Amino acid sequence: MIRLVPNHATRIKRSETVTFTFDSEPVQGHLGETLVAALMRAGHLNLREAPNDSAPRGAFCCMGLCQECAVIVDGQVVEACRTVVSADLVVERA
Amino acid sequence: MSDLNDIAVVGAGPAGGNAALVAAQSGARVVMLDEQPAPGGQVWRGKTASILLAPVTPETTAGNGLRSALSESAATHLADTRVWDILRNGDHWSLQILRNGATEQITCRSLILATGAREYVQPIPGWTTPGVIGLAGATSLFKQTLSLPGKRTVVSGTGPLVFFVASEIRRLGGEVAAVITPNTRADWARATPSMIGQPKLLARGALWMADLILARVPILWGHAVSEVEGRDHVTGIKTINLKRGVAGLSFATDSLCLGNGLIAQIEAAQMLGAAIRYDPSLGGWVPVADPDGATKVDGLYLCGDGCGIRGAAAAALQGTLAGARAARDLGFSAPSPPVRPWQRAERFGRAMTALSIPHADAHALTTQDTIVCRCESLSRRDISTEITTGATSTNAVKSGKRAGMGPCGGKYCQTAIAALIAEQTDKSTSDVPPPTPRPPLRPVPLGQAAGDFDYDDLPIPKPAPL
Amino acid sequence: MTTGPTYEIAIIGGGIMGCATALRVAAGGMSAIVLDQGDLGQGASGVNAGTLSLQIKRVKLMPYALKGHHCWEEMGDTVGFAKTGGYTLAFNAREAEMLHERQTLKSNAGAPIEFVSNNQLRAAEPNLTHKVEAASFCPEDGYANSSLTGQYYRGKLRDAGIPYREGCAVTAIDQGDGFTLTTPQGPIRANRILLAAGAWLKPLAALLDVDLPVNARVNTVSVTERLQPLMSSVIGHATGLLTMKQKANGTVLIGGGWQGRGTPQDGRGTVDADTVRPNLALAQYAVPALSAARVTRSWTGFEANVPDFYPLAGALPGVPDAFVLGCVRGGYTIGPYISQLMGDHILGREPEMPLFDPGRDFEKDTI
Repeated sequence: MIRLVPNHATRIKRSETVTFTFDSEPVQGHLGETLVAALMRAGHLNLREAPNDSAPRGAFCCMGLCQECAVIVDGQVVEACRTVVSADLVVERA
Repeated sequence: MSDLNDIAVVGAGPAGGNAALVAAQSGARVVMLDEQPAPGGQVWRGKTASILLAPVTPETTAGNGLRSALSESAATHLADTRVWDILRNGDHWSLQILRNGATEQITCRSLILATGAREYVQPIPGWTTPGVIGLAGATSLFKQTLSLPGKRTVVSGTGPLVFFVASEIRRLGGEVAAVITPNTRADWARATPSMIGQPKLLARGALWMADLILARVPILWGHAVSEVEGRDHVTGIKTINLKRGVAGLSFATDSLCLGNGLIAQIEAAQMLGAAIRYDPSLGGWVPVADPDGATKVDGLYLCGDGCGIRGAAAAALQGTLAGARAARDLGFSAPSPPVRPWQRAERFGRAMTALSIPHADAHALTTQDTIVCRCESLSRRDISTEITTGATSTNAVKSGKRAGMGPCGGKYCQTAIAALIAEQTDKSTSDVPPPTPRPPLRPVPLGQAAGDFDYDDLPIPKPAPL
Repeated sequence: MTTGPTYEIAIIGGGIMGCATALRVAAGGMSAIVLDQGDLGQGASGVNAGTLSLQIKRVKLMPYALKGHHCWEEMGDTVGFAKTGGYTLAFNAREAEMLHERQTLKSNAGAPIEFVSNNQLRAAEPNLTHKVEAASFCPEDGYANSSLTGQYYRGKLRDAGIPYREGCAVTAIDQGDGFTLTTPQGPIRANRILLAAGAWLKPLAALLDVDLPVNARVNTVSVTERLQPLMSSVIGHATGLLTMKQKANGTVLIGGGWQGRGTPQDGRGTVDADTVRPNLALAQYAVPALSAARVTRSWTGFEANVPDFYPLAGALPGVPDAFVLGCVRGGYTIGPYISQLMGDHILGREPEMPLFDPGRDFEKDTI
């Protein structure tokens, strides 16, 4: 099939994969990428429960504003879209 | 004060970056503060360290150009830095910034805000389901990490962004289940004259569309996503034909990129006293500023999408105008660049914004049970009841229902709430201003705001009379 | 010129005091209208920290505060009332001394305040710092949700059939055969007027050539996002410079009267980072786990006062049929009650407790 927009997937070289944990489960991510990208790739979309209706929520704005991807790292609530993946990172649900 | 900067620039996108460059060239002492690890803003976002090698795109080239110019410039760039409060202190501005897990204070004589845009997403049933991300949000994901929101994605929204996102998904090896846009072919035909002046962008857009057609990706013109299915994650979407008001095709998908145009991030400017006005062709409420960024507030300059959505090309040009103006006003010899190129770029930007703003019937997509305020899980019914019982301003709805008191500070609900107030009280949207902006501009960990302290040194005033 | 109805009283200011007085006089058969330059309950009534604490009330206002607490308790869930009890903390010897002196006087004035041991304190509030030198407790203390003021009184006025106008600033007051108020929504006529405009009283009274020496404090309040349970009662500081409570929804509200900037004439006030930061530090010192909590919003509200820091409640000096109510220190707590007294006075009835003559000499100790 003719593609006017080429598939670049194979031409992208990424950093080594490292293992971190989300909710005590091991997750693979590329060193230095955003936590949101790694969690999405691993299929971890549901990051937290909304107040009041307890509905599942996940990353939404991807630019550090909506606070939907809030998770806990080192006891501190952080935005997964502004947090970088490193080996042995321990990520908990907020 | 020895560490007083001449100019602080908030934001390092095309506007802020260029403002910092020209101001630093004039000899001013410039500091540029930005939330991201690298300059570029949302539109020219830099890649994370996880990307070792990747094909170059026009956004990469533009961003790299700005990044290398800034790295050679005398402007100080503070990355990964959040400005959480700004206050006028006598003849200078004091900025509270969060950096490396601690609050620092930066001072400057003049301030340039280049706070950019965020996106408006019309609330629809299921839009809070994990797997639904913003359309502009998706571009951040692509540019920064070259990763995808899912394996098979529906892309829905207004303006050119919907085609860019679909094209990027294909470029990065993903599958586009469908492109759904409320715009019609006639909308685009009307916008074409303003695009003639930007042949490169026009050609790029045509290529994206042709590629999607060749790949047999369904493109549903004049349609919107009416419902997202799935609980823990997206499993599918339903559509509606907006003109005929009947259901359109449904698609199985694991992700949805959804957006209805950009809106200016005006909170900081508003907080500092800049007047605001309503201009739908600039994305809604915008602060009042001259083309060169000057405002009625002494020492405050605004540029880029933060004072109206005009796009990256216009933002870069206005950054230069504002940086030069701010430097000249402080007595530095900076150039006086012509305004014409900005005006040309602005025409194109406005045309794209006009395509992107939600159609009048978009609000009907928000059913009574649809969550409008994500932070507090408030439905349209909750908000509407509050309006019916007499809360007729965004501040009043916020007080009564906490819509806007959650962690996002109303950034993702206020536009929809203002539209509901206007509709229910027979007012024009221009008569329903956004709520009072307050610091912190982003959530700040209390300990990091408070900083290290000795109890005995706390400046505790004398107690109230007995 | 339109000839709308002539109200028996026009009340200028739609905060707690204006609305509650309107309800009282209307219950007594008087036709009333409430006017506010903005929305109802968006001034001090709607942006204060909502603390209902006898431990921070002025000694001479204690009888009014006790009555005020009962008013709030009756309003109950609709205003987010919670009687949690409250602890006031002293962190060093100087503050402990101040705490003993002040709380003893307040206890003598009728507030059920007792001093508690560190063990009692820790059992009740395990997340508090261990650096407490002394603490007092008042079981009557609690809070209400000030954000609900507007919502609450809109409903009450509507139920009582009392008209109200929002976005209706009074720009001139003409006297002669009653009062004619100039507003952007047309003239409003009334036989009496009550000025209940809080921090905006001074320019309002000036329309009648009366100089009320009203100043405004710019109190700051901050709120966190939802947190796991950290405290169950209202936490205060011996100096009064911290009030803190965790709402049912998990957010923690931090106040204490730290001063922001601005004047009532030029907007809604500005938060000053130089005062918010020590306010937050004090909160963190009291409850160290707050360190990781994210603050989502800080704001300011204008609290009106006169030089002796006692209320204005009574006839406006020199203007027949004009009344003024405001500047009540602890106005959120006392507001609903003192408004009943004011309403009774306007109705020509003897109030249950004395009012506070707005014509007094504020430089002398007259209360």
